[in-house]
Formats: sequence, C-alpha cells, structure tokens
Amino acid sequence: MQIVTMGVAGTMESSDIIVRIEPNDKQEINLTIESTVMQQFGKQIDRVIRKTLEDLGVTSAIVSVVDKGALDCTIAARVSCAAYRAAQRSDYVWNGGTR
Amino acid sequence: MQMGAPLKGARLQKVKDFLLEQSLRMEDDAQYTVCLFDDCDELVGTGSFANGVLKYIAVAEKAQGEGACATIVSELVSYAYRMGYKHLFVFTKPANERQFTSLGFFLMVKTDSVLMLENRRDGLDSFLRSIKEECLGTIGAIVANCNPFTLGHRYLMETAAKSVDLLHIFVLSENRSQFDADVRYRLVKEGTADIANARVHRSADYLISSATFPTYFLKDNVDASVVNADLDIQLFAKRIAPALGITKRFVGTEPFCPVTRAYNERMKQVLPEYGVEVIEIERKDGISASKVRQLLAEGEKDKVRTLVPECTYKYLYGGE
Repeated sequence: MQIVTMGVAGTMESSDIIVRIEPNDKQEINLTIESTVMQQFGKQIDRVIRKTLEDLGVTSAIVSVVDKGALDCTIAARVSCAAYRAAQRSDYVWNGGTR
Repeated sequence: MQMGAPLKGARLQKVKDFLLEQSLRMEDDAQYTVCLFDDCDELVGTGSFANGVLKYIAVAEKAQGEGACATIVSELVSYAYRMGYKHLFVFTKPANERQFTSLGFFLMVKTDSVLMLENRRDGLDSFLRSIKEECLGTIGAIVANCNPFTLGHRYLMETAAKSVDLLHIFVLSENRSQFDADVRYRLVKEGTADIANARVHRSADYLISSATFPTYFLKDNVDASVVNADLDIQLFAKRIAPALGITKRFVGTEPFCPVTRAYNERMKQVLPEYGVEVIEIERKDGISASKVRQLLAEGEKDKVRTLVPECTYKYLYGGE
C-alpha cells in the first residue's frame, strides 16, 4: 500500500488513539508514539502498529500516534483506517470478505 | 459538546467572558470554536481554531481532570485535518505545557506569558538543520515578503551582504499575497544569485507566518497599537537566531506601513537582549513593493521597469 497523502483516524479521548500517517521520502516506517501508558505498554503498542502496517503492505511512512490507553484491537483499527485514508483507497474488505 | 464556526452574538460573548475569567483575551480570528457544557448547561470549557493555530483553550477548574481538554483539542485537531491543515500549532499558557505535550504537541518556544507548540516532533529543529551553514564570521538575516521582488529589496540584500560573512534571506512562505510564494522565492533566488554569500530560504511556518504573526497579513485594516509580534520575535530570538548563529537582523526603513514599522520597533527593543543587533538600512529611493503593485495595476510598464530587477520584470511582462 502506497502512502500518498496525510491520513488521520481516531481521537484523543480516553481509551482511544489518534493515528497520523504521512508519506516518507525514505523506505522505512518512522514511528513516534506518545502514550499515557508508555511505561507499561510502549513495546506492545509499537508492535501492534508495525504489524498492522506490515499486513497492509505499508513499508514507507511517517507515523505519529497519541495513545490514551487504547486496546490492541482499537489500535489496529485506527491504524488501518488512517492508512487507507493516507493511501486514498476505499476498497477495504470488511469481515475478511465473508458474509 | 457544541461546535461551530464562527460564534456570534450572545454565545460569542459568553465564550469571551469565560476566557476573560481565565485571563485570556479572545480576538475575532476564530474560524471554529468548540464549547463544552456541563449537565446544568453551564459553559465549562472552550477552544478555537484559527489559521493553523489552536488557541483560546480553557477549561473551568471544576471540570479539569476529566479529559475535557483532550476532548476540545481532539475536536479542533479533527476539524483542522478535515480542512486540510497539516502543520498545526498551539498557543497556550506556559502552565499547560505538560497537558499539551501529552496530546502530541512539541514545544517550540516559551515566554513568560505564552507557550507555542507544534504537532511535529523536531519540526522547527529539522527546518533549522536543513538551512544551517557553518561560518566562522558574522551571520546576518533578512526576512521579507518580496511581493514582488524590487530593486529596493535587492539594495537592502546587497548592502547587508557586504557587512556580513553569510546572509540568510527568508522569503515568506505564506500564500496570502498577490504574488505566489513560489514565484516570490524564485525571483529572489534568481535576482540574488550573484551575491556569493547570500542564501535564500523559504520561511516555512516559522518566520512571519499566519501562525507566528497573524496581524501582518491583515495590515490594511489594523491599528498598529494592537500589533502583537512578540511571539514571532521571541521565536526568532530564542530559537532561530541561536541555532543559525545570526547576530544581525537587517530591515529597511519603513515610512509607509504602520504594522511593519511597529514590528521593526519591537525588534529593536527585544532582539539586542538576545545578542542580535537590528540594523536599519535607509530605503533606496523610496521604492516599495506596494508602489510596484499599484503601477502594475495602472499598466505603467515603463515605470515598473525602473523599480524592479530584470528577473521580476521578465516574470511580469514575459521575456521581452
């Protein structure tokens, strides 16, 4: 997935996360995390974000997040949404393609 | 929560009064305002957005600690992104530093009364790194709009360049002038290419921008006494000048525009405290960009020709 513009998803409310994804000149994921639970879950948050991007095939992006204690599923959802917006794509396949 | 753009009448007055209680004065520049009410319909928090800047943010004491500030900022940020703004700034009181750094904003400059933050880690630093140049001698700076680039600007730059070893020229990036920012930048670059120690840069959002000095762009209808350029000047004095080693800031004498004159006067008061000398250079033959724009509108081609460098003339009238 090619990041072509800035995409944002999420809020700064408690238990949510706001994710901003922008194009990167370099072929790498440049990730900045600001979190209320950095001490406890910083590594876990980092892992979930990178894994979600990898699954989407995003290999080059500047990603900035402000986390307010979101659960992993919330993090993954917000990252996917921001990535699709930043790639200007709307062909998301819901429910893994099954009904 | 209620949001809307922009507030009027009694509701605006209510927000203004609320902010005054928190010793914040609201100007009339808000494009979008968020209001938080409690169960009794009482206003307990507010925040506004104006030209890339989140400001007039306040939360009543009794509502603090319940995420009210995060709700307001979150809504303002979503609005800003929806409107296509990417680089966002926050103006707030110095006491709120931790609150805002926890919301993903990074410190740019702090004064006794104001704190300015941006939404990019390293934004200002990487801008400064990208233009920094090692120089053992004296380093000077000029900040100019060049709308369009005239022989007056050229004279100021040439004169300044002679008295320093390296001259940084910042051409305003704000696209709120008759001539496009890219055109202004290109003409200055071309028209100063022969000045070996001059470096032309885009000012980005960091020097005389809508964020740092909004009144500059409203100068036709602004009372000079209310010009508040302090933030812009503090940012230059505390962050930009030291990082680039600038010790001289050059300005042309300003006989016409009250806003620019007030700005220059304020710089003369503040910058020396930070080891930056403000040097005023007599304006050459009274040439001004506004005069050029006026002649241009009147179709006075020959008169325009006497006031602008070759590159500007060519741009204005094609390559004849």
